[in-house]
Amino acid sequence: MKQLIMGNEAIARGALRAGLGFFAAYPITPASEIMHFLAEKEGEIEFVHAEDEIAAIHMAIGASLAGLKAMTSTSGPGMSLKQEGIGLAHMMEIPLVVVDVQRVGPSTGMPTLPSQGDLIQARHGSHGDYNPLVFYPATVEECYFYTIEAFNAAEESRSPVILLLDGFLAHLSETVDLRAVKPHLKRRKLKPLGGGNRHFTGLLAREGVPLTDDSDYYRQWYTRVKNKIMTVACQYNYFEFLDNPQADTLLIAFGITARVIRPLKKAYGLFRPIRLFPVLEKELSQAAANYDRIVVIEMNDGQYAGEVQRVLRREVISLPILGGKIHLREIQEALNAL
Amino acid sequence: MLYKDYVKWSRWPTTWCGGCAIGIIFKQVTFSLERMNLPREKLTVVSGIGCSGRAAGYFNVDSVHVTHGRALPVAEGIKRGKPQLNVLVFSGDGDLVGIGGNHLIHTARRNVDLTVICVNNQTYGMTGGQMAPTTGKGIKTLTSPHGNRYSPINIQGLITANESYFYARSSAYHINHLQKAIREAFAWPGFAFIEVVAYCIENFGRRMGYRYGYEMLLKIKEIYKINHSPQGLLKDNELGILKK
Repeated sequence: MKQLIMGNEAIARGALRAGLGFFAAYPITPASEIMHFLAEKEGEIEFVHAEDEIAAIHMAIGASLAGLKAMTSTSGPGMSLKQEGIGLAHMMEIPLVVVDVQRVGPSTGMPTLPSQGDLIQARHGSHGDYNPLVFYPATVEECYFYTIEAFNAAEESRSPVILLLDGFLAHLSETVDLRAVKPHLKRRKLKPLGGGNRHFTGLLAREGVPLTDDSDYYRQWYTRVKNKIMTVACQYNYFEFLDNPQADTLLIAFGITARVIRPLKKAYGLFRPIRLFPVLEKELSQAAANYDRIVVIEMNDGQYAGEVQRVLRREVISLPILGGKIHLREIQEALNAL
Repeated sequence: MLYKDYVKWSRWPTTWCGGCAIGIIFKQVTFSLERMNLPREKLTVVSGIGCSGRAAGYFNVDSVHVTHGRALPVAEGIKRGKPQLNVLVFSGDGDLVGIGGNHLIHTARRNVDLTVICVNNQTYGMTGGQMAPTTGKGIKTLTSPHGNRYSPINIQGLITANESYFYARSSAYHINHLQKAIREAFAWPGFAFIEVVAYCIENFGRRMGYRYGYEMLLKIKEIYKINHSPQGLLKDNELGILKK
């Protein structure tokens, strides 16, 4: 059955499909509709309109420890606040999904206009070293599918997985047939609290015993956790590559930007990463190999271009689209002027 | 079950200083658990950051030690996720009332079925003895070297402002009263908050002229009196249990 639904609703429905048991959030434009939709499901799931963003993510951590699949949603300003909980969930190895519907920042910025400015925040926002899985869909149907995949990846990696989208996609309504999407669901591996004598802590710990001055153990621990996430990431190598043998330039874009530049496929190669982090190093290198020029088009001032340049170890041109306004004509003119 | 069964002896000795009040309070909790005969698998403990925050790791149950101030939201998530668990929050005044103050107001308002033990030593002991929201007026600390200019926060007022509440004030000296408060808090079907008057000798009391922890303990005995049937709110020097 086909339905007309918006990106935010698709995310809420995807979460329910994945087995969501707990949702807490704080209202924020342009992510609130996820909350509105899930508030209707109170009773079927545990729903909390939390007192603030920090409480919302920590409640989700608690619920996940208690055995429920948990999610929280927000936008950039709330994402900044949630970083504390994201770090804690990485340290305690708690599965969780965090949705960030990006708007123009910094700070309160331009609340109703879309952006892709939270990439580095999603990757490096909490202090210390960690390796989050980050997905970025580009259609309403993908919002549904990759929400489910975010839950799967969270369960497998026992880490908080971030689903990024932009205010444009969140509020975009498309006709989709969600029943035609046949996801495979991953089960909970972490045993719920109660009955044991495990100790979960934000401190560096070995089997629940804090080891806060053991540098050698920190190195072992970090290697194990990084390898774990990288191994899981390999099963989620999502991207779209429209190769164009006639073209000499490869355009890299994601989310709404990738959709806007799609008409340029006759003149350019197009690469759309869906798993933004860890960066698809092999796939990007292979795709870029036959192109003379690499251009990253994104609604920020070159956040992903820097990542691509690091991976490809060659010059990458950044084409920033700032201020929440995106036009194909503008992009085309900028490309012609290169 | 004996009180010893609720203690994770493999973690001994604790991080707490000699003469600290937290150990006394921790022990009263385990005595209360023994008296209630609460099965271990029906209990989880959540703590935040600070000296009292280390308590979660010393209970021989599944326990969680979270970031600073966030014990209440994590505990609420656990309670909603697994309502059959008794969720005990054991943390300090800086954690629950200072950085976690917003969560305290709202968790109490939502009347989430948690038992909260707030060890109120009136200072940030772990970080060296800075001024807490509970520090008395005029007291000199690292961050109030000329004397605290502000009055301490009214925790009783915050909790009892709600439609339904359980607020108890007890102390590390009045251990029978404390055990009674803990048992009643576990039995209370909603948010139950126990403020335990405690002290910190190493990073707080010494600067005020106390030489030993027990001098501070005796000072609590001298100041505080138990009011067994309080009418209205507790006076500043009273201990008691308020339920509505």
